[in-house]
Amino acid sequence: MQDRECVIVINDGNDTGFSIVNQLINQNYHVVLIERQLPKSDVAFNGIGTVEFFIFDFYNTELIEPEIKKLPPEIFPVSGLVYAAGIGGVRPLSLTNTVFLHQMMNANLYAFVEFARCICKKKRFKDGGSVVALSSVSSTKGLKSKIAYSASKAALDASIRGLAAELADRKIRVNSIQKGWVRADMKHSFIQDNMALSEADDLAKQPLGVIESEELAHMVVYLLSPESRSITGTNLVLDGGYTL
Amino acid sequence: MDILTNKTFLITGAGKGIGFHLAEALHELGASLILHTNSTDSMARIQSRFSLGQHTFFQADFSSPENLEDLWKKQISGSLKIDGYVHCVGIRSRRPINMLKTHDVMQVMTANFASYVEMIRLVTRKNTYNPGLSIVGISSISAHAGGSGITAYAASKAAMEAATRCLAKELYKKEIRVNTVVCGQIETEAYQTLMESKDDQTDKVLERQYLGLGKPSQVTDIILFLLSEKSAFITGSAIPADGGYLTT
Repeated sequence: MQDRECVIVINDGNDTGFSIVNQLINQNYHVVLIERQLPKSDVAFNGIGTVEFFIFDFYNTELIEPEIKKLPPEIFPVSGLVYAAGIGGVRPLSLTNTVFLHQMMNANLYAFVEFARCICKKKRFKDGGSVVALSSVSSTKGLKSKIAYSASKAALDASIRGLAAELADRKIRVNSIQKGWVRADMKHSFIQDNMALSEADDLAKQPLGVIESEELAHMVVYLLSPESRSITGTNLVLDGGYTL
Repeated sequence: MDILTNKTFLITGAGKGIGFHLAEALHELGASLILHTNSTDSMARIQSRFSLGQHTFFQADFSSPENLEDLWKKQISGSLKIDGYVHCVGIRSRRPINMLKTHDVMQVMTANFASYVEMIRLVTRKNTYNPGLSIVGISSISAHAGGSGITAYAASKAAMEAATRCLAKELYKKEIRVNTVVCGQIETEAYQTLMESKDDQTDKVLERQYLGLGKPSQVTDIILFLLSEKSAFITGSAIPADGGYLTT
């Protein structure tokens, strides 16, 4: 056993994920960061806590169970799991075939549920622990050409309620954060495609402006901490007023 | 609802439950139907029940939506144009998280969600529908309220509702509306099977569903309304048929 609480963060190269790791190590957590590839060299972590890296392609969900078994045994049982990975993508209905739907569901739902299944077992997850997944306002708001993405985030949010009901016996809490436009996400090409394909002024719907990753990370840290011990099965909205 | 007479409706999952009751109601109203079931057995049953009338039958396994396009082309004549599509196909699943492997989640998502999107993709092509087409998906209160062991099922129904909101915005210019009906506990064969499988024969859902167990006709009446022009101003919505469940 180690003295620091351990949190597993699943991330797919997103700045938001790095921001979450930074805030967790500032709070003296031990972070196990699982990525699909090595982050770029300009990513730096600073804090009093510690961070360990593991790399594997978790969108191939069959790898998740064997890779979790390979993690150093001393990190278990962990007290938190954060799913900050996932993909985006826009396509009109005529091109939204089953293969595309499955790709989206695979990264945004199946991989999350598989991590939850493998990590929330008694020997690996502390009673009273907390699970947080990053969702999107698209879960509740429809946009053209975002059929697959919206559906995958709504599915993620619904899975949270199922898991929360099931894990409540062990006082494990499960929540998601429905985020609006976050600055770090906007550099991705699919967002620019979306602006072109869909409603161009979507960002204008967010009266408080763009959200910084740090703010999102604060909310994740809060949901992981005992201060939120009575919050479970919810989808917290952090959207700068997008859904107003 | 005379306005539904002489119109053509596609019902998937018409072999039993809500789909079957809806087929009966639309048949009584004099509509032409395209009735889908997944198995040869239930196909024989609905072929004999609906032998009188202008009906077409469509057999396809919705657990492989990638085959739907071919099956649709083979079985449905190109001259049929539909005025409404109601998606009643769906599988229930109950599995605790420690047994819920990706394969199990995928199976439920495929049957309940991917098949819904794929059918909409097929029926909204040119010359397949008449303007004013109304699409209705059958969702569940599970999409909104969590329950132990129904993680995958709840996710699949929430995905349907989210896709419906996007499709409404995408298809309105083609004069197509898309909505879902959010069902509570309804007295169907599936409900009886569920209750027989329980040891204590009690249904906790009914404690919150204060209007009691729903009758299939109470759901089909809402679907008929959504199919008709009387609901022309409603799209992208999820209409509760839940006996008050989601308000408690």
